[in-house]
Amino acid sequence: MTQFSRLTRSAALLCTLALASLAGGLAPAGAEPLRIVIDQGVIEPMPFAIPAFTDEGGAKDLAAKISAVVAADLAGTGLFREIPADAHISRVTSFDAPIAYADWQAINAQALITGAVQASGDRIVVKFRLFDVFSGQPLGEGLQFAGTPGSWRRMAHKVADAVYSRITGEGGYFDSRVVYVSESGPKNQRQKRLAVMDYDGANVQYLTDSSSIVLAPRFSPSGDRILYTSYASGFPNIYLMDVGSLATQQLAQQDGTMTFAPRFSPDGGTVVFSLERGGNSDLYALNISSGRLSQLTNAPSIETAPSFSPDGSQIVFESDRSGTQQIYVMPAGGGEARRISGGKGRYGTPVWSPRGDMIAFTKQNEGRFHIGVMRTDGSEERLLTASFLDEGPTWAPNGRVVMFTRESAGAGGQAQLFSVDISGRNLRQIPTEGPASDPAWSPLLP
Amino acid sequence: MDRGNSISAIGHAAVVLWVALGDWFFAPDDTPPMQVAEVSLVSDAEFSAMVAAAPKSKPAEAAPAKPQVAAPEPVDPTLPDPAPDVVPEQPAPRPEPAPEAPPPDLSPDLPVSSDPQPVEAPPPVAPIAAEEQPIPVPNSSQRPKPRPIDRVAPVPVETTQDTPEISDTATPEVSDEAQPDAQVVPEEQPAAAPQEATTQVITEAVETEDNAPQLAPTSSRRPQSRPQRVAAAETPADTAPADTSPERPAETARQEDAAQQDAIAAALAEASQQEDTSGDTGQTSDRPAGPPMTSGEIDGMRVAVKQCWNVGALSTAALSTVVTVRVDMAESGIPDAASIRMTGFTGGDQASANMMFEVARRAILRCGRNGYPLPPEKYDSWKDLELVFDPNGMRLR
Repeated sequence: MTQFSRLTRSAALLCTLALASLAGGLAPAGAEPLRIVIDQGVIEPMPFAIPAFTDEGGAKDLAAKISAVVAADLAGTGLFREIPADAHISRVTSFDAPIAYADWQAINAQALITGAVQASGDRIVVKFRLFDVFSGQPLGEGLQFAGTPGSWRRMAHKVADAVYSRITGEGGYFDSRVVYVSESGPKNQRQKRLAVMDYDGANVQYLTDSSSIVLAPRFSPSGDRILYTSYASGFPNIYLMDVGSLATQQLAQQDGTMTFAPRFSPDGGTVVFSLERGGNSDLYALNISSGRLSQLTNAPSIETAPSFSPDGSQIVFESDRSGTQQIYVMPAGGGEARRISGGKGRYGTPVWSPRGDMIAFTKQNEGRFHIGVMRTDGSEERLLTASFLDEGPTWAPNGRVVMFTRESAGAGGQAQLFSVDISGRNLRQIPTEGPASDPAWSPLLP
Repeated sequence: MDRGNSISAIGHAAVVLWVALGDWFFAPDDTPPMQVAEVSLVSDAEFSAMVAAAPKSKPAEAAPAKPQVAAPEPVDPTLPDPAPDVVPEQPAPRPEPAPEAPPPDLSPDLPVSSDPQPVEAPPPVAPIAAEEQPIPVPNSSQRPKPRPIDRVAPVPVETTQDTPEISDTATPEVSDEAQPDAQVVPEEQPAAAPQEATTQVITEAVETEDNAPQLAPTSSRRPQSRPQRVAAAETPADTAPADTSPERPAETARQEDAAQQDAIAAALAEASQQEDTSGDTGQTSDRPAGPPMTSGEIDGMRVAVKQCWNVGALSTAALSTVVTVRVDMAESGIPDAASIRMTGFTGGDQASANMMFEVARRAILRCGRNGYPLPPEKYDSWKDLELVFDPNGMRLR
C-alpha cells in the first residue's frame, strides 16, 4: 500500500511538473529583454550648429567674432563639422529662448551651441549653452567667462575647450600657445628668432631678434618660462627665458662644452639636456634652483633629445649606441636604458605624451621622414605622416594632437608647421607669417 | 484520254489563259479621273494689249541669280539690333499662331522691377514620384551583360530560421586516418541544452561578456518564496540530515512525502506566478507571443542602429568602454527617449561610460525617429531592448 501511494504521488508530481513546464512555455517570452550587440559604428565628424552669439549690449561685433572662433576651433579638430548658418531653420534671437529641437534635428545637427556676449566698459561677459539635439536636453550646465575686450579670442577658445571637453570626454587644447622658431632669408643663410602664437597661428609675438641662431624652444609646465638653444656665444648653449619679462639666463655654462636639446621636468624644477664634451654627448640633469648638475648617461655614443614622462619617473631619449639612431627609456635618475624602437629605419626626437600613454617620434626610413606614435613600451607603432622631411613632434595639452615641422624639398624649400590627430587624420598646416619650425606646445593657459 | 483528264486539261488551260490575259480584260481602273478646267481663248491682239499694260520690272529684281553682296559693316557690339527695320514680305501670309519661342528681347529699355524677384532654387534632391515608374527598356539587339550579384547584401537578409554560427578562428585540417599510436579517448558528451535555450540568438560577443544573459529556460527557476508549510518541513531535515538508514523508515517516508509536496507546491507556485506576471503586462496577455526574432531581423536592427552610432568625436578612453543600454520600444518601432538608460559598462571609468552612453543614446534616437524595422507581430520580443555598444573593434590601434 505504501509503495502504491508513493508511486501515485510520484506520478502526480511528474504531471504537476509537466503542467508547470507547459505553462511556463506558453508564457510570453518578454521577461528577458532582447539583447543585441552593436560592435560596429561610424567614424565621422559630428555635425554641430552654432548660431551667431546674441548681443546683449554693446558687443555686436564681438559676438559674431567669438562664435566664429568657437566654430573654427571645433571644426579644426576634424572631430566636428559645422553646419553653415545658411542651412539653419530656427533662429536664436535670445539666449534664454526655448530651443526648437525639431528644427535642428531636421538639419541633422547633433549638437547645438548658443551663446551671448555682453560688453560694459572694459569688461565683456561671454556665456554659452550646449544642447544634445536628438536627446532634446542640455549637455551639462551653461558656462560664462568674463574678461577684457582684448582677450576675446581667449574667451572664445575657452568656450570651445568647454564644448570639446563636454562632448569628447577629454580636455581641450584651444586656449594654449605655441612657441616656435620663425625663419626668414634664403636656405643657406637662414635667420631664426623665437616667436610665440596662439595654437591656431593668431597673436604672433617675437621673443628674440635675428642676431643669433636659436633652436628647439620648450615651454615650462607652467607656461611662464621657455628653454631654448642659442648660438649667441658661437656654440650652442641652452638658455632660460622668462616669458613675461623676456629676461634670459644661460644654463649649465661650462667652458669647452656645448649644451643643447633641453627640456623641463614635469615639476619645472629640473632641466634635462645633452652636453657635448670632447666629441661625446651624454644626458645631464640640472636643478635650476640649486645649479646642481648630474650626469645621467655615460656612453661613447650620442645621447640626446631627452623627454620626461608625465610622472617624472622616466626619461625617453634617442641614442645611436646600437649603431643606428633608436629610442630608449631609462629611469629619471639614470641607469639602465631599454630600447623601445624596433622597426626599420632610424628613430629620433621622442616626446612623451601628456597622458603618459604614448611617445611621439620622428622616423627616417627609405628616404622618407615620418611622424609617428607608439606605446611607451614600443608597441603599436603608428606612423601618422610621410613626406620629404617631417621632424620635431610636440604634443597638444590633451595628448590628442601632434604638431611638427614639415620642410619641402629643393633650394626654395621652406619649413612650415603642421598638426595631425594621433589617429592620422586631420593633417593641416598651421598658418604662420613665414617659414616656421621647432614648435613646442604650451600647457593650457590658466 | 478519259473524261477526267479532259476536264483537268480544260481547267488548267483556263487558268493559264486567265493569268496571261486577265490583266487585259479585267485590269482595275485606278487611273485618276481626268480634271477638266474651263478656259477662255485669248486672241493675239488681246494678249499684246495685256503685255503693254503690265508694269516694267527693274533689271536687278529680274536677275536674282546674281545677287549683289554688300560689304560687311562693323557691328556695334553695344547696341544689338533689336529688330530688323524691314520685314520681308511673306508671299502668302497665313494666319498662324504665335511662335512657341519668341526671340529674346535684348532691348536695353526693359523695365526693371524695384523688388528683386525670387529665384526658384532647384530642389535639393531629385523629385521622387509617389508611385513607382517603370524604367523604359532600351531597344537593343544586344543582350545585356548580366550584373554580377552582390556578394554581400547591404542589408542582412531576413531568414526564417537561425543561421549557423561561423567560427572566427580557422579550424585546422585533420586527417581522416587515425594515427597508429593514437590513444582512443572516449569523447565526453556535454549535456545538451534544452530546446528553449536556442530560441534566442546569442552572439559570440555576448558570450564573452561577464554579464551574459542566463541561458537556462525561465521555466526552471525556483520560486522566490516558498510556502510556510514547506519551510516547516525543512526544519527536521536540518536536525537529521541525510539519514537514510533503514532503522527509521517511517521518518524517511514522511520526509519524502514532504519533499514531494514541496516540489508540487513549488511547481504550482511557479506556474501561478508566471500566470500572474503575464496578466500584469496587460497588453501582452491577449497577444500571441509569436515566433522568436530571427537572426535576420536582429541583424536588421543592428544595422539600423550602427548607422547612427558615430564614435568619431569620442576620446580614446571612451572608445575602450562597452556600455549596455536598455530602451523601451513603442509598437511603431520608435524608441522611448525617456526610457533609455545605461544598465552597465565595462572597460572604462564612469566618465568614459557616460560619454559612450550619450553617443549610444544619440544613435538610438537619431535612427529611430521614424521607427526601426522590427516585425510588429513580434512586438513582445522587442518591446524591451538591451543594446550593447562595443567599440573595441573601432578603437585606434
